[in-house]
Amino acid sequence: MTVWRYARLYLEFVKQVLKVWLEYRVDFFIGALSTIVIQFASLLFVTVVFEHIQQLNGWSFYQILFIYGIAATGRSIHLIFFDNLWTLGWQYIRTGNFDRLLIRPINPLFHLIADRIQQDGVGQLAIGLVVLIVAATHDGTVWTPASLLLLILLILSSGVIFSAVNLFFATLSFWMVDSLPVMFATFSLSDFARYPLTIYNKGIRVLLTWIIPYGFTAFYPAASILEPAKFGLMALITPLVAAICSVLAYLFWNVGLRAYTSTGN
Amino acid sequence: MIRVEHLSKEYKIARRKPGLRGAAQNLFHRTYDTKAAVSDVSFSIDQGEMVGYIGANGAGKSTTIKMLCGILTPTAGEVRVAGIVPYKQRQRNARNIGAVFGQRTQLFWDIPARESFNLLKHIYQIPQHRFDENLRTFSDVLELEPLFGRPVRQMSLGEKMRCELAAAFLQDPLVVYLDEPTIGLDVSVKARIRKFIREMNRNRKTTVILTTHDMQDIEEICSRLIMIDAGRLLYDGDLRSVRQRFGNRRTIHFDLATTATDTAMPAQLAPWVFAEWEGREKVHIQFDARQTSASDVIAAMMQSYAVRDLTITDPSIESIVKDIYERGLS
Repeated sequence: MTVWRYARLYLEFVKQVLKVWLEYRVDFFIGALSTIVIQFASLLFVTVVFEHIQQLNGWSFYQILFIYGIAATGRSIHLIFFDNLWTLGWQYIRTGNFDRLLIRPINPLFHLIADRIQQDGVGQLAIGLVVLIVAATHDGTVWTPASLLLLILLILSSGVIFSAVNLFFATLSFWMVDSLPVMFATFSLSDFARYPLTIYNKGIRVLLTWIIPYGFTAFYPAASILEPAKFGLMALITPLVAAICSVLAYLFWNVGLRAYTSTGN
Repeated sequence: MIRVEHLSKEYKIARRKPGLRGAAQNLFHRTYDTKAAVSDVSFSIDQGEMVGYIGANGAGKSTTIKMLCGILTPTAGEVRVAGIVPYKQRQRNARNIGAVFGQRTQLFWDIPARESFNLLKHIYQIPQHRFDENLRTFSDVLELEPLFGRPVRQMSLGEKMRCELAAAFLQDPLVVYLDEPTIGLDVSVKARIRKFIREMNRNRKTTVILTTHDMQDIEEICSRLIMIDAGRLLYDGDLRSVRQRFGNRRTIHFDLATTATDTAMPAQLAPWVFAEWEGREKVHIQFDARQTSASDVIAAMMQSYAVRDLTITDPSIESIVKDIYERGLS
């Protein structure tokens, strides 16, 4: 009942955003284009590296590309739908605008997220899908409807993990006014996760698997499809990791919210 | 409608030690000062009342309003708004209230006003017929029609405020909190907004709580005043007795062209006025309009001094609060 209501409400927010996009078409294309350019730069880096070596720690060019593609699409889900988390500190708490969300008869976290849908993410989604398709048709994987479905589930989980980790660190804003630097520092760790985790030492692997589980945003999902014998189990637990992250982040958000309403701003 | 009992709110403020060494000490060992923003305030407001909630800056007005809205949890005491404890059931309370918070917009920045209202319709689940009817009624008084197509960021302050008011009343709230709704607006917009608030109250029995620094707002809208100072309740009663006491008070500010050698008031004014010098080239003269007139004061001053410029003002909220605080209301 509530879920249905929120789904319909979200649709209303989306409608408004689409109207704004249509009104500012040029902005939309420039935004989308700029992310495509940024993506191309890092893809170029991978290509150049593979002009000199055949394999990276046993992973071929297209396999690396496949990991990269999952990371890009997962990240784009986070960028399109959950981008407003970045602005919690400086646009809501610092300015006092957060109070506006608290006097509405809806969940403030929902309101915060629905307040913005990021157009730049569309460019990232587009390039992520292209990379994914190119990689998936060249890396020798045999695709079945079941494995495609699994891939979609894994990518959605990846987006959820990105968003949950960000929510967790955005919540710190309730105590420190603006936790943007902490969010940036954490988020930059996700760059490591665009490459096979097997190339890193144990410390980084443990960090990216069990502490800030960015490993599940790209490498484990990709590896479980590329090498099911060795990493198959990781495919199963990726959605579970996403669910646990979300629950933890939401509980933490509620703690932060309570701290905010008891101390004010 | 609203019941507030022994309401208190204390803030903890980290005491900062000065200097680099102090900053380092603060990192590891913090000492806190508690500041009482609201102390033991009690009042109750019936449905349909229009109350001016006033006090100087930092007196605790917005802290109280935030607790009534459910944005802040009190340190002690109890609040009920339409039977609901706001900070315990914030979202349920939100259905019953509307708010205008001075400079912060309740609308959506980038999208046209019409779409903003439309989103609010979905957020508050306002029935379509009620929504249409409300917008039509509001448009008559607030002249919203020409604003519908424009996003808030392209509006002037007055245009924005008209939309804010419409947004606050759109969902037929039981209580509306208005924080400085007329600040910075020109006379005609102020008049329009006051008329709108009065009509809403008359036709719908909406309870209105207004904080303002504009005495005119209070005269035209409120029948009751609640005054707080330094977090404590100073006065709660009807507007009439405050008006009787202060309504005739005027202040004239004189700028002199030359430095005054003698700061004594002219003899014919001395019994009726209270003069406050600011250096020797500025003087503020307070008097009661029933005892002497502005023209008499000005004439007498012009005779005794070379006056360069003068302005006449009504008493400010601050001066009234200060006066009641120092001398009581007898």
